[in-house]
Amino acid sequence: MRLLSQSFLKIPVLVALLVQFVPLLTYSQIDGEKLFKTNCSACHAITAKKLIGPGLAGVEERWEDKALLYQWIKNSASVLEMGDPYATQLYEKYNKSIMPAQPVNDEEITAILAYVANPPVVADAAPAAGEGLAQLAEKEPTIQPWIVLLGVVVLLYILMSLLRSLQYTLRKIEADKEGLPVPEQLSLSRSIGKWIGANKTLFALMLIVLGVVSAKAGWDALFTIGIYQGYEPEQPIAFSHKIHAGAQKIDCNYCHSAARHGKSAGIPTANVCMNCHTYIQEGAVNGTEEISKIYAANGYDPEAGSYTAESEGPIKWVKIHNLPDHAYFNHSQHVTVGKVACQTCHGPIEEMDVVQQWAPLTMGWCINCHRETKVSAEGNGYYDEIHSRFTEEMKKEFMKDGVITVSEYGGIECAKCHY
Amino acid sequence: MGSANKKYWKGIEELTEEPSFIEQSNKEFVDYVPVDNFMSEENALSTSNTSRRDFLKFLGFSVTAATIASCETPVTKAIPYLVKPEELNPGVANYYSSTYFDGNDFSNILIKTREGRPIHIEANKNLSGAGVNARVNSSVLMLYDSNRLQYPVDKSGEEVSWKDADKEIISALKAASAKGGKIRVLTNTIVSPSTQSIIDNFAGIYGGEGAADVRHISYDSISYSGMIAANSESFGKAFVPSYRFDKAGSIVSIGADFLSTWLSSVEYAGQYGKTRKPDGEMSKHFQFEAGLSVTGSNADHRTAVLPSEYGKVAVDLYNAVAELTGGTRTSGGGSPYTEAIQHAAESLVSMKGKSLVVCGSNDKSVQIVVNAINAALGNYGSTIDLNHPSHLRRGSDTDLKMLTDEMNKGQVDVLITFYGNPAWTSPSSLGFASGMEKVGMKVSMATYFDETSQLCDYTLPDNHFLEAWGDANPTQGVYALAQPTISPLYNSRQVQESLLTWMGQPQTSYDYIRAYWENNLFPTSGAVFFEDFWNQSLHDGIYTVSHDEQHEEPNFAADVSAAASAASSSKSSELELFLYQKTGIGDGQHASNPWLQELPDPVSKITWDNYVTMAASDMKARGFNLNLGQEQESDMVTVSVGDLVSEELPVVAQPGQKPGTIGIALGYGRQVWKNKEKIGVNAYPFSEMNGTVSYHRNGASITETGNKYHVAATQTSHTVMGRTGVIRETTLDVYKAGDRNDFNPVVALPTHEGLEAVKNITLWEPQNTEISGHLWGMSIDLNTCIGCGSCVTACNSENNVPVVGKDEVRRGREMHWMRIDRYYSSDADLEDKSISGYRSMEEPGSMPEVVYQPMMCQHCNNAPCETVCPVAATTHSNEGLNQMTYNRCIGTRYCANNCPYKVRRFNWFNYIADRKFTEFNPSQDDLGRMVLNPDVTVRARGVMEKCSMCVQRIQAGKLEAKKNSSKVEDGAISTACASACPTHAITFGDLNDKSSRIANHDAGDRAYRVIEDVGTRPNIVYLTKVRNKETAQA
Repeated sequence: MRLLSQSFLKIPVLVALLVQFVPLLTYSQIDGEKLFKTNCSACHAITAKKLIGPGLAGVEERWEDKALLYQWIKNSASVLEMGDPYATQLYEKYNKSIMPAQPVNDEEITAILAYVANPPVVADAAPAAGEGLAQLAEKEPTIQPWIVLLGVVVLLYILMSLLRSLQYTLRKIEADKEGLPVPEQLSLSRSIGKWIGANKTLFALMLIVLGVVSAKAGWDALFTIGIYQGYEPEQPIAFSHKIHAGAQKIDCNYCHSAARHGKSAGIPTANVCMNCHTYIQEGAVNGTEEISKIYAANGYDPEAGSYTAESEGPIKWVKIHNLPDHAYFNHSQHVTVGKVACQTCHGPIEEMDVVQQWAPLTMGWCINCHRETKVSAEGNGYYDEIHSRFTEEMKKEFMKDGVITVSEYGGIECAKCHY
Repeated sequence: MGSANKKYWKGIEELTEEPSFIEQSNKEFVDYVPVDNFMSEENALSTSNTSRRDFLKFLGFSVTAATIASCETPVTKAIPYLVKPEELNPGVANYYSSTYFDGNDFSNILIKTREGRPIHIEANKNLSGAGVNARVNSSVLMLYDSNRLQYPVDKSGEEVSWKDADKEIISALKAASAKGGKIRVLTNTIVSPSTQSIIDNFAGIYGGEGAADVRHISYDSISYSGMIAANSESFGKAFVPSYRFDKAGSIVSIGADFLSTWLSSVEYAGQYGKTRKPDGEMSKHFQFEAGLSVTGSNADHRTAVLPSEYGKVAVDLYNAVAELTGGTRTSGGGSPYTEAIQHAAESLVSMKGKSLVVCGSNDKSVQIVVNAINAALGNYGSTIDLNHPSHLRRGSDTDLKMLTDEMNKGQVDVLITFYGNPAWTSPSSLGFASGMEKVGMKVSMATYFDETSQLCDYTLPDNHFLEAWGDANPTQGVYALAQPTISPLYNSRQVQESLLTWMGQPQTSYDYIRAYWENNLFPTSGAVFFEDFWNQSLHDGIYTVSHDEQHEEPNFAADVSAAASAASSSKSSELELFLYQKTGIGDGQHASNPWLQELPDPVSKITWDNYVTMAASDMKARGFNLNLGQEQESDMVTVSVGDLVSEELPVVAQPGQKPGTIGIALGYGRQVWKNKEKIGVNAYPFSEMNGTVSYHRNGASITETGNKYHVAATQTSHTVMGRTGVIRETTLDVYKAGDRNDFNPVVALPTHEGLEAVKNITLWEPQNTEISGHLWGMSIDLNTCIGCGSCVTACNSENNVPVVGKDEVRRGREMHWMRIDRYYSSDADLEDKSISGYRSMEEPGSMPEVVYQPMMCQHCNNAPCETVCPVAATTHSNEGLNQMTYNRCIGTRYCANNCPYKVRRFNWFNYIADRKFTEFNPSQDDLGRMVLNPDVTVRARGVMEKCSMCVQRIQAGKLEAKKNSSKVEDGAISTACASACPTHAITFGDLNDKSSRIANHDAGDRAYRVIEDVGTRPNIVYLTKVRNKETAQA
């Protein structure tokens, strides 16, 4: 039985694996895709959409002389020098910017053009195969626990009613048999009362247990007041750290550059987004919908490729990590000096589609870390100076556990964070 | 039995069955539930008919509401810039060098901004000699004053558009020009060369042959016209010289308060501080004055004289010097202070060529005599620089008089006035206000709708100096730049831009100043590119012309004997009135600043008011109350001189004041922040125009009104009662003799092993801090502390100290983390141990010596406060700081009771929300809140607070060192008070860094700790005060 079910389970896995390999089987055509992505996609869309340069859909039809197109791709300036009218027209249309010469040979150009002519059919909801981003949007259907609980309660009630009527019937039959008067059926509450009367000690015990458990639950609940671990608000733009930090491996400091310098890590300003999104105009999951919000904020017109539209003003993000005002926290102390990884406090941020507060951000949580964390002091002139001032006894005392922790430098004193 | 039928009435209403009663009796509760916020309003609370049941209802509701509310986080938004300015990182402060000049004080400053908001002003430490005083560092608050003029207004105060106002003004100017009328521009001294050039061009455009007669009239709210005229007569050039107090070995001041209000006092205080180091060559300072000024309180020898005798003292001093140097005597003089004058003359002559005599009189002849003394001593060229005259005062009283005469004759067609408030500061006899009515078109450009503006047809809001571009030429050869640190908050326009608009050359003042610098200063710099020159000058805040021409020193050539007889001619009268400036309020243009109003006057320690000062003996003779304090009320009087009668003022005893004189501070009688009530009484009308404005009047009289007034003073005890543990002072020769036991003996207590130094006895384990890591501490040199209070306001600004107002100060609840204790010496015999002997020790002497002692949390290593806190809200850090954790504090106030230094402050109210403080606490205003330091918690009601030694700055400094991988360099971290001190009396540093300045101070002979015998081991070190006087006289 057990074996059988396991082998049944294997079938879909195998199917899934096969599906994964289908694109690999047709790889000769993918060559063009890869080349397109390395050489062309920064400026050209595979569709007719205009980016820096024109969209490439139907490019072969637009050039009468194929050889000239090949030469254009390899060295566009030379075609312009020849005075080809279509080339000159293109040059004029795209703000007189020359397409840089591309290091590709004729076969490669053929492959690229073949790819452009027959782009892979993109499935409706799952584009950009291979990066595994499509599944991100899906959510597993889960049964809410309270529904289960309700079901169990209803089931138990039915069971109890059945058993009670069964018991009553049996008793009636028994009474009929014995010729005794038929006992009256007690109501539910009365029978519970009767049971309590018969089992006073047990009931008292149950009450005490219930009281203790609920008191404990209440006490624990009090400690969660003001703790918003797991807070995961909806943001004005469905920005995904999983795509940017996870899949694209953009360094956290690229956008949150202020973390190195000051107390605030800083939310990247909209112009930082534009560094990349001037070119990347379409996202894998949400298409142009979310990226267009950046454009709206910046007043960027993607069609014209200029900041000529009306700006909607800054993006109003919802703040997730809210430290109380009386607690001073400085990112640069932790990031630059302490060399603490972002993930230590923010969790697996590179796996989060929607950012949530991963740590409880309680004082106890801060202090625990300060008690356990070794200060990375090697080679830092400041700590060298402080070490030289420690007495021998202090060094011995501090080094009992082999490390000098933050707290041994005074890192859990009040005025290190509260002033 | 019968009681069942008996009816008892609850009251007469029930008996008479009044309809209202019947209606009420059918209801259990009355309809009206008093829901106003009665708890925060005193009147409502005492008259409230809220019952216990209502209270319980409120309580129940609010507990539930609070519980529910606390479970739901409010959604906070984080809004980044659209395009972040490159130089700005959120949470990191930026500093901009700039220049402050308000017609009274000049200072090279650094402006601290956070996220584009200026929040703190300190001295530009990159420039030697730069300093700030309380008026300068408090000026940042007024940027956020919502009472500033927010848009152009007409005469009635109604808003008009810039376009309409410009049109009207231009047409008035053109009309005046066409008919050849008179256009007058009236300003304070203009120190900005570019503004001066705009005014000159303005005159060129509207004036000239066949056009209007355009003149620019300069005046100063506190006039120095007499000095300028005297220099004109002495040296053939009208100017104010540059004084070099740092080069002076002997200083005599006749009524000049040069450390706190006279001329360029910030600069002079810094220079003076340099000469007050007993280890080098220490200057000797004599003061002759009527009231006790900050400068007088710092003098080694002070003589109280009548204000009418300043001239005679100067002439006598001239004769004494002449006798000693073999010069010729002159007639006149004849003051009764022969001995003191002889003493001063001897000191001056012994320091010939390195001495300095200054005088606060605005009388030309007195100033000529003073010039003659300086000339006889050879001080020109050393302590007085004629080659680099100061440009800070150029006002002419003669011009002002001429203008008001023209105005009163109805000859002036257009009057444009800015930088100043002449209607308020001019003498009443001048008739400025009446003249204004006869002027065709009156235009005022001001930051407030002030007294002058109210008389004008148009008032155009000028930018606050933190919103404006500017430049300055404070002394010849030195140029400074001022840059804006925030965009204008209101619909205001810089004065310069308004003038340029009216000249038909609209451009930004930035462009104009740049062009001016490019054309006029860049060629002198030798720089290759203007851009480099400009950027460097803007970065430094200052540009000094390197190769300026040396002129030959002009020779003194005035008629001394004529001047001497004129100077000696003034008669004294029974009661003389002198008008003086207080350190906090100055000439009064900052009177609406609550920080400055709450800054106690250094000498009297009184806040929020001006008052009549008198000698105690004069007050006793009139039966006035001499005491200050919670249960003490001062008597109210009116002062009259001639026809002029003042409003009521309280009378306060001032030790050290010359009997037969009364003093009133200028600059009062104005609204403060949002308080509609005027604070104090304007004393400017009492000044008199006698060719030059005189701030001294003979023939004053006072009339008791019978009313009483409770003056808000922060210190009501005056002496140290002979306790050596608090103040230590000695004289220079004792100090020079070098035996520490004579002036600063080690504090020792008898133990079973004999006498032992207190620092070696303790019940406690030594703190780790004292042997390792950092040990932050401060040293305070009582010798160079002049008591000015710059540190107090700097601390307010840095640490978000709330303003509590007059009423709370009266109860001793001011919140200042730093106070400056002022102690008078007593004439009492310390050997008299009887009760009356002790009582007489409480009385300050009539001519006392004064010591200032800045007092803040001493950060004791064995802190008494820490051991009594039941919740460990105040603890010790491993860096020697006594930490205060507001969120732990439950407000038992045990710590304050156990503190021997009385430096802890309790938040009796929620100052940031309580209605009682709305009118003067800036933190209750959305704009006023902008000045708060975001790195320091704003404290709530019911918690204790005190000096944290600017722990936020320490943490920031350490972080900077860690990032740079270096040790914390001495001087890299400074507290707000230390960086605000104009004389560098406060030094902050690491006591465990043996090469630091503070470690040196601590190891020196002058170092002591206040009440060391208590054994608290403070980290604040005081340095014994050394007076440069002969021991025999002590």
